[in-house]
Amino acid sequence: MAERSTFDMGRTIVQALALLLVLSFAVPYVYLVMTSLKPAAHVQQIPPSFLPNRISVENYLTVINTQSMPRAFLSSVAVAVLTTILSLALSVPAAYVAAQYRRPITVFFLLFALITRMVPAVSLGVPLFQLLKSLGLLDTTFGLVLAHTSAAVPLVLLLLAAFFDGLPKEMEEAARMDGCSRFQAFLYIVVPVMKSGIAISALFAFITSWNEFLYALLLTSQNSKTAPIVIAEFNSVYGLSWGPMTAAAVLYSLPVVLVTLVLQKQIIGGLTFGAVKG
Amino acid sequence: MAKISLKDINKVYGDKFHAIRDLTFHIEDGEFMVFVGPSGCGKSTALRMIAGLEKITSGELRIGDEIVNDVDPKDRDIAMVFQSYALYPHKTVRENIAFPLQMAGIPRDERARRVTNAARVLELTDHLDRKPGQLSGGQRQRVAMGRAIVRQPKAFLMDEPLSNLDAKLRVQMRAEIASLQRRLGVTTIYVTHDQVEAMTMGDRVAVLKAGVLQQVDTPQILYARPRNIFVAAFIGSPSMNLYEATLDGELLVLGEQTLKVPSSVFAARPAIRESANRPVIVGIRPEDIDDASVTTKPEFEEIDAPVSLVEALGAETMVHLKIDAPWVDAGDPDAVAEIGDEHTAVGRFSPATSVRPGDTARLAISADSLHFFDPETRVSLW
Ligand SMILES: Nc1ncnc2c1ncn2[C@@H]1O[C@H](COP(=O)(O)OP(=O)(O)OP(=O)(O)O)[C@@H](O)[C@H]1O
Ligand SMILES: [Mg+2]
Repeated sequence: MAERSTFDMGRTIVQALALLLVLSFAVPYVYLVMTSLKPAAHVQQIPPSFLPNRISVENYLTVINTQSMPRAFLSSVAVAVLTTILSLALSVPAAYVAAQYRRPITVFFLLFALITRMVPAVSLGVPLFQLLKSLGLLDTTFGLVLAHTSAAVPLVLLLLAAFFDGLPKEMEEAARMDGCSRFQAFLYIVVPVMKSGIAISALFAFITSWNEFLYALLLTSQNSKTAPIVIAEFNSVYGLSWGPMTAAAVLYSLPVVLVTLVLQKQIIGGLTFGAVKG
Repeated sequence: MAKISLKDINKVYGDKFHAIRDLTFHIEDGEFMVFVGPSGCGKSTALRMIAGLEKITSGELRIGDEIVNDVDPKDRDIAMVFQSYALYPHKTVRENIAFPLQMAGIPRDERARRVTNAARVLELTDHLDRKPGQLSGGQRQRVAMGRAIVRQPKAFLMDEPLSNLDAKLRVQMRAEIASLQRRLGVTTIYVTHDQVEAMTMGDRVAVLKAGVLQQVDTPQILYARPRNIFVAAFIGSPSMNLYEATLDGELLVLGEQTLKVPSSVFAARPAIRESANRPVIVGIRPEDIDDASVTTKPEFEEIDAPVSLVEALGAETMVHLKIDAPWVDAGDPDAVAEIGDEHTAVGRFSPATSVRPGDTARLAISADSLHFFDPETRVSLW
């Protein structure tokens, strides 16, 4: 009996903490959405109100009519898509080999990949700047894709390695007995079997690039500026305009939010993949 | 279809662990060969080297007349059934079975025809459009078989394909696989740690222990003439009772008691005669021990032993006995008959017996069926 009641107590505490966590993520976003719907004049009123006293699309109209916005949006899409493709092309085979042909050096290799994430991004900004400059890739889509890929690969690699860890080795072996070369087995069997894990990793790579600010700020200027830079510029180039900035942020977040909602089941399923296989 | 031969095959994992030692034998074209042995003895390793999934450290492997040590699995033209089945979860049953044909570049209609055929043989016709996740264990097993038989490979390799099935299904599939193999006539190597499977399915059985081949023979010969005490104990269930004893002329001294060894035994096996007046290990199969008061054996020797447990199975009664002689450990982890921490001998009594635990039973031992082993080398005396 005593054990039962402490168990329930623990459960309640966990649920309360989970709720707190969800709120801490959700409140700022909801506040962002609320603010974007306020008339521009009300955005900075004192004291601030949570709910708009009048719904207005004024801020959204300002964003849509901002010249640089559509182009920045397209640039963001291009950079994020290319980053995703390049990151996966590099990480999927690497993670597969790391997980399925484990050697003592494998762990070192995976940790080594994380080192780039252990130093502040800004300290890598300068070397990256010089590197891209010497390659003539400053302010190009491809240059930024390379920078974003260097940021996305470590995360995606570890995530994929965890997924591939749950894949029985016999999958590849069966394919090889059925007449595949190692690479064919990987391509025809392993990749399709792991597609939900790969999809989730793709989403992470995409988001990493989509929301990246610092490299985009340092490495682009005119031609391939991404949306986060232009959104920030609402408060500098156009004076203090919090209203349009929030509206732009909401618009910019929509694709990711929608994709995440659509893929919800796969994401949860994928993230618990390792937990259920044993 | 092809013969397979192994010559002095060794496998060392990571410079340290010697998993297979000097494995040499020959499998005839169309033969059903079973690898059997306790867990960790190297059965899967041996099979996987033949498949090409594991590198051969040294030695020579031939499939047909070709040396294939360095041939890629895909070019060995061998089909394998895995213990876990390893079905492709994203493909339907039809696509799973068709996959090897697809990889072999067989045209679509020929592929469809062969898949239909294989599905009919394996009674999978109604499930062709399902995914493996929607099948029962037995059906999955059949799909794995289907993927193997759909092309005509040089050989089938099967690694404990039935171990995930329940006992009843296992008996049924055992018979089906054996008859399918005879019909297709494809050289087969079948790995199991279940000696009943080994004995019922194999044309010949290879017994492995700790990476060393102990004996390769037909099931009958393995049973009747085990080469050493490991094979003697491993083959047969319940396993052979093994005790230290001494030969004193024609008398076998077992603890305080003696039995007379028939002269026919000495005549047939000269090595035993040379062991006269020496310690030996004696092996008695459970069916060679009966209750002397009810036995139908025409000739037997009698000794006494206290009864510690009686298991009436209907057609026979298993009786656990305390034999007062030093018990011999054959090194087979599955074969130890123990009650508490006491080793007992098992007798397969006729059901008419009325012995009870605590009684001292008068045993009828078929002395002409006794097995003798050298206590030093543990090799059979013939
Ligand atoms: N990749 C490996 N690296 C190192 N040792 C290995 C490896 N694979 C197997 N072994 C060792 O080799 C020995 C034989 O293994 P194997 O899998 O062939 O046994 P098995 O006879 O098939 O056993 P089981 O009946 O349990 O399947 C075991 O002791 C095992 O620990
Ligand atoms: Mg095994």
